[in-house]
Amino acid sequence: MRDRLLPRLLGILSIVALLGAWEVASRTGALNPVLMPRPSLVGLTLWEILVGGEFLGPLGHTLLLFAVGYGLACLIGITLGLLMGASPVIYGLFEPLVELIRPLPKSALVPALFLFLGIGPATMVTVVVLAAVFPVLINTLQGVRGIDPVLLDTARTFQCSRTRTLLSVVLPAAMPMILAGMRVGLGLGLVLVILAEMLAGESGLGYLILDLQRSFQIREMYAWIAVLAAVGGTLAVIFDWMDKRVVPWRGRA
Amino acid sequence: MSARLRLSNVRKVYGEGSPDAYLAFDSISLDVAPSEFVAVVGPSGCGKSTLLRIAAGLAPASAGEVELDGRSVSGPPPGVVYLFQQYAKSLFPWRTVIDNVMFPLEAAPRSERRSLRERCSEYLKQVGLAGFENKYPWQLSGGMQQRVAIARALAAEPRVLLLDEPFSAVDALTRMELQSLVLDLWRENRFTAVLVTHDVEEAVFLADRVAVLSHRPTTLSEVIEVGLPRPRDHIATREDKRFLELRHHLMEALLGRLAPVAA
Ligand SMILES: Nc1ncnc2c1ncn2[C@@H]1O[C@H](COP(=O)(O)OP(=O)(O)OP(=O)(O)O)[C@@H](O)[C@H]1O
Ligand SMILES: [Mg+2]
Repeated sequence: MRDRLLPRLLGILSIVALLGAWEVASRTGALNPVLMPRPSLVGLTLWEILVGGEFLGPLGHTLLLFAVGYGLACLIGITLGLLMGASPVIYGLFEPLVELIRPLPKSALVPALFLFLGIGPATMVTVVVLAAVFPVLINTLQGVRGIDPVLLDTARTFQCSRTRTLLSVVLPAAMPMILAGMRVGLGLGLVLVILAEMLAGESGLGYLILDLQRSFQIREMYAWIAVLAAVGGTLAVIFDWMDKRVVPWRGRA
Repeated sequence: MSARLRLSNVRKVYGEGSPDAYLAFDSISLDVAPSEFVAVVGPSGCGKSTLLRIAAGLAPASAGEVELDGRSVSGPPPGVVYLFQQYAKSLFPWRTVIDNVMFPLEAAPRSERRSLRERCSEYLKQVGLAGFENKYPWQLSGGMQQRVAIARALAAEPRVLLLDEPFSAVDALTRMELQSLVLDLWRENRFTAVLVTHDVEEAVFLADRVAVLSHRPTTLSEVIEVGLPRPRDHIATREDKRFLELRHHLMEALLGRLAPVAA
């Protein structure tokens, strides 16, 4: 506990130092105070946004889109990964398709998706799915492939059916890998939902940040970026908390 | 509840047909009577695990046949339980100890679950793990993990128990405790037991008969009747003259001193 405290304190210190330097630079005019307003002023604006509850609407919008897209991505990625790992036929069927789409930067697909799905939530959810599904899928597949043969033999000697083996042996055994993939997908999905909102949204954090920049409300823009940073950080913390509870044996078995 | 396990002329070639095909062993025949305890000893890498996997129906033989009570074995038959050399890997880390033991019984209807759980607690008590029901395998020591695997094997009510060097990874004292435990359980439950090991003393201490696998090319070189009185005791039995004779003979065989000079 003690030896974890010091690095953490140092980490906080580096943030404080950066903000302090920014504050000083902005006050002395070393940084353009219009483009880089003092953190203390941004903090004040942020405070107003938080206290007024103003942040709830856009935040809810973004989080809803993200949750639907990310949830779908995990569902599809895990299911398809399990099936591809368990059946050579299904693997053969999907592998070329996966390898074709996977290397594409998903942001490049956004304009094309607007054409098919229109400018609206359908596109945004699809973009999030596309961004998050591949790390989940690939990791699930690797998790299934890497499962210890002893575990499968154990299931076989106890007369475990194929379906039950898949659901109650393969799936949990692959869980550490699956969650690692979901962790990567979480970050990518968040990037893409913000990007999609910037390009096509009529609300949400991404839309708001771009809109504020265009209308030159720089202080507000930074305040909302701070909100976004907090969202990303919170999701990561929640994820790690969940990870410890779902796979407490990670690195120990 | 026990069954006769018979291997006739079993042969295993890895990578059959390819240029680097590898003959693991050939023409191994062994007839294990119901409720008999047979040990198979052989040097490391001679194919003990492979042989046991074939006996369990987990791997196909390249030639020959495995029969369980006269029925040819092609996949893992019900009632044949395998205790793995890598016991830590055969437990499910996401399940508690009791849920690991429950695993073989989960095909049973839901209404019976409660009584089955109680039965599993009973098995845990038998292997000396009462009170550890709700721990996870990775919270236990190696010897305790193997006890969980043994309790789980009991839950499947084995007719045949196949033991693949199950005690090779624990310390000497724990090994002796586990050996006595297996003997007690074998006496109570009367399953047929086949143990493979490279530990000559372990083989003699536990078994009714000891089969010896030769160096490469591996085959069965001899089968010895142990004939030591039961119940066996770690101190008395190991000082028995017969025990020392058998140990001497088997050591010579394994160390290759009896090997005839190649012509
Ligand atoms: N899947 C496989 N493919 C090719 N060769 C294999 C395979 N599994 C085992 N072998 C080879 O067959 C031989 C016997 O292996 P096996 O694991 O049965 O030996 P063992 O007697 O159990 O050894 P140990 O005492 O170390 O556990 C070894 O030489 C090994 O390299
Ligand atoms: Mg082995």
